[in-house]
Amino acid sequence: MASLTYTTAARIATRELHSSRGKFTFVILSVAIGVAALTGVRGFSASFRTMLSLRARSIMAGDLSAKTTRQPTPTEQEGLDRIAAEGVDSTQVTELNSMASAAGSLDPLLVSVKAVDPEKYPFYGAVDLVPNVPLAGALTPSTVAVADDLLIRLHLSLGDSIKLGNGLYRIVAVVKNEPDRLSGTFAAGPRILLSQQALDDSGLVGYGSHATRRYLYKMPPPRPGKASPDDAVAAMKTRLENLLPDAQVTDYREASPALARGLDSSTAILSLMSLVALVLGAVGVAMAMRAHLQQRLDSIAIMKSLGAGSLQIMKIYLLQTLLLGLAGGLLGVLLGLGVQVAFPLFLAKLLHITPDFRVDPRAVVIGLAVGLLTTLLFTLPTLLEIRSMRPILILRRAVDDIDVTFRERVQHWLKNAAKQMPSFIIIVAGLGLIAARVSDSALTGEIFAGALVVVLLFLFAMSWATLSLLRLFLGKTRLHLPSAVRHGLANLYRPGNPSAGLLAALGLGVMQIMTVYFVQQAAVQELHISTAANLPNVFLIDIATSEVAGVRALLAQQPGVQGTPEIVPVVSSRLLAVDGVPAEKLKINHAPRGMFRSLNLTWSPTPDAPPPGSKVTDGQWWTAQQSADAARHPLVAVGKGDADRLHIQPGQQVTFAAEDSQFTATVAAIFDTDSRHAYSRAEFVLPEPVLRGLPVVWYGGVHCEPKATAELERAFYAAYPTITVIDVAATLEVVRQVILQITYVIQFLAAFSIFAGIVILASAIAGTRYRRIREVVVLKTLGATRTRIAAIFSIEFAVLGLVAALVGLVFANITAKLVLHYVLKIDYHFQPLLTLFTLLLTAAMTVVAGWLASHRVLGQKPLEVLREE
Amino acid sequence: MTTAPSVPSETAANAPMIVVDALRKSLRTGSTNVDILKGIDFTIARGEFAAIMGASGSGKSTLLGLLAGLDNPSSGSVALNGTVISNLPEDKLAQLRGRTVGFVFQSYQLIPTLTALENVLLPYELNDESGDRKAGMDRAKQLLDSVGLTTRLDHYPVQLSGGEQQRVALARAFILRPPIVLADEPTGNLDSTNGQHILDLLLHLNQVEGTTLVLVTHDPELAAHARRIITLRDGLVVSDTIQAGT
Repeated sequence: MASLTYTTAARIATRELHSSRGKFTFVILSVAIGVAALTGVRGFSASFRTMLSLRARSIMAGDLSAKTTRQPTPTEQEGLDRIAAEGVDSTQVTELNSMASAAGSLDPLLVSVKAVDPEKYPFYGAVDLVPNVPLAGALTPSTVAVADDLLIRLHLSLGDSIKLGNGLYRIVAVVKNEPDRLSGTFAAGPRILLSQQALDDSGLVGYGSHATRRYLYKMPPPRPGKASPDDAVAAMKTRLENLLPDAQVTDYREASPALARGLDSSTAILSLMSLVALVLGAVGVAMAMRAHLQQRLDSIAIMKSLGAGSLQIMKIYLLQTLLLGLAGGLLGVLLGLGVQVAFPLFLAKLLHITPDFRVDPRAVVIGLAVGLLTTLLFTLPTLLEIRSMRPILILRRAVDDIDVTFRERVQHWLKNAAKQMPSFIIIVAGLGLIAARVSDSALTGEIFAGALVVVLLFLFAMSWATLSLLRLFLGKTRLHLPSAVRHGLANLYRPGNPSAGLLAALGLGVMQIMTVYFVQQAAVQELHISTAANLPNVFLIDIATSEVAGVRALLAQQPGVQGTPEIVPVVSSRLLAVDGVPAEKLKINHAPRGMFRSLNLTWSPTPDAPPPGSKVTDGQWWTAQQSADAARHPLVAVGKGDADRLHIQPGQQVTFAAEDSQFTATVAAIFDTDSRHAYSRAEFVLPEPVLRGLPVVWYGGVHCEPKATAELERAFYAAYPTITVIDVAATLEVVRQVILQITYVIQFLAAFSIFAGIVILASAIAGTRYRRIREVVVLKTLGATRTRIAAIFSIEFAVLGLVAALVGLVFANITAKLVLHYVLKIDYHFQPLLTLFTLLLTAAMTVVAGWLASHRVLGQKPLEVLREE
Repeated sequence: MTTAPSVPSETAANAPMIVVDALRKSLRTGSTNVDILKGIDFTIARGEFAAIMGASGSGKSTLLGLLAGLDNPSSGSVALNGTVISNLPEDKLAQLRGRTVGFVFQSYQLIPTLTALENVLLPYELNDESGDRKAGMDRAKQLLDSVGLTTRLDHYPVQLSGGEQQRVALARAFILRPPIVLADEPTGNLDSTNGQHILDLLLHLNQVEGTTLVLVTHDPELAAHARRIITLRDGLVVSDTIQAGT
């Protein structure tokens, strides 16, 4: 039996595509948008990963790193000295946040301090300084290098002096880049780079103070007959983990593990967001193909009349779909390179580093394959409809009986829906597989596919309902409306016009971007909410025991301070066991295993009562007598959060280690603390006699009138320059900037979905171009000016945009409310002005897109069109 | 070629309604120029009923379109009710058309998203300056009643038969009582009964309201009802005759 060859099918397919170039240009663009987003995200991620592995040693500035928040115990120091004696080079990097000011002024600024040994640091990579002087020359006991930002904020220049703690230092260089910036701690302020000697002289780091120490190690070069470099590194890592159980030990092969994990998670999330744009593009292809097939009914009828089977005809349109998907995919890959270049611009303030631009073949292949597969999936139902097209019906142009009843209409719809069900299942399953692949998680893939389909269905239902209500409204009021408005609204229901499905697609894009925006706004707004009068909004870090009385006195003198300050003693400790079970073997709920490596212990100011802001939820607090006797019979109260995570209950025995000693305490009570109190810093409260003699650092929390905060900072800086004063509002501003940076990236990708939605809307409008031209001709014949015609069409486009935006905004508000309430535990507030702005902006974008898709319809001479009738 | 009949001396009252002077129209298709009209001259008097006949491809529909100002001639001019329309700007042309010309298309050309009543009302809304919407509504309903569609006011074109759609189109063409009605094969897509009905309406409007009627047709039976028949062949007028007894 003869069959339509692929060559013939391809010839027919390409000729048809060529003759409908304009219409399919939009379709190709809609696919390209999604592929661009996906390829850009994955390309950037791959480049970043490559950079991390190529520059791993530089990013760590060593072969290994051991990060700890306390000074080594004497035993630990002996072990470290032995390592040094074996030829393993090591150097210490100390990082902390503190206060600094210009030499002549006492207006302090929160800065991020990093002290290094400039003779050794860094082991790999280099610090970029301006002017380009050797690091050892820039970081002497009396000189420092600072970031540009610090110079600006303190109004300083090179050569000026800066006060840090008890020391005064001259600024000799600007720090442009540090190789291990990504591996360091979170920088709450601009950078000051100085030598370890200079840091010691400043008095900022005392016994028990909360500075992060990173010990960097460089392995000696391999000797013949000895272990290979990687084996030696692995062995050293194990040794350091045993020597420093509190420390986080990593080697260069897992450089910045938190960053790598963060990169993987972000890539998965952003890939899924890109997939939404891709799905919209595929929806656009499917709808365009459906409209295209409707126009090709005559050709299909003729082919079937001539003996062509459905499969043979499907070959033609399958090839067309493949060509469209491929064209869109290739264009998308090119655009994706632009996205890949744009990403670092959004993340500049977060990452401080730009990966080299590289084309990742894997990202390209995945982008292309996903684009093609998604397009095919969504076009499947349309292609399968070819089977049911009967030539005689097409050639006779049978029209539905206009008197069909509602029940018959519903039955017909249900029958159609049942026929489409297998395709629907295939689409959802296919989408799930694709989502699982791009997110590297089968569960995520299933949830994503299911959620996307459910959301699209809801959006579709709401679009359909809105359009139906509008039609009802039009039916009741049409003759009372101005003519142009009536005509514009009536045009919404023109055959071939964008349907509820397309409006739902655009609505999805609006929903995505506005959900992110609402959540971002609420989260950022929450950061600005001022605390109640009796809760701290200024925190004091690293108060030495000898300074406590003076700090209390100073606070008492400050006119802006309200209520009683909370000065909390904290002892750093480590959890060793619970009821004899070693910490490593404990079952821990929803927390990293390393949580027990560094715990904060404290004691209550009142011996026989919980600290301020805390209340007992289980067990019983100890009496004054028990407190006095606690050195012999230690007791402990555990915060509810940690008690739940570690499954601790009253009566159990908990063993702690602090410095070189350890002790076991009986759990007397479980308590809960309001997180806005300073005492919430410590999860374990013991009677003071138990902790006597251990190194203590004090933390303070005080409520100060916002306008008096600067005065408080100045007073502290003058009297206690080594105490860090953190104005919550200023710190929250830093956090706010981080949130904004992250959400900019998400919004950037969500914008792709809107763009895809607008493009497929424009594609549908372009598909009705001929009908519009005919309408324009008739209107011109009847005396309508171009202005009048433009008004009618503009109203039509604007209403399309408004419906899509309305639908998207409703769901954005619902989604934002759910996320804020259940995930972030923040109140949700409806934002009417923003909602109105979004409605108008979407309407405006739709009008522009509609006119771009309808260009030249106004300029056609009526007779040219009529002649073609 | 038969010369056009002489027109009585012109006074303001019986000045020609349509004046066509050396009208030419060429079209470019690919790399060749095709001359559709090669020099047409005639006038049509006020209240006259003229039929333009010719075989397919003779240029009659193009001529009708130029008379309505739906395109610009390559050379020559067309004047409607004393105004030369050939090179008017598009919007001015639209306004003139709206007030002066009622056009009936062969394929009805109703706006599919508007009801029958709204379609008839459309020219009134586009061109009336009095702002009296009620008057327009009443006139539209009266016209639809006169063409036998009282019960179909709220129906969309897709719900009407071909004959009904053409009747709506006729009513639309007459709502502003235009002095000129141009009809392009108005019965071409209708069966004989509906076609006769449409013709009767056109004749009534010409004879009772004095509308100048120009009809393009290839049907001699239809053309026989006209007072004057202008025959085109290959873009030129080959005969222009007054029918005896009309």
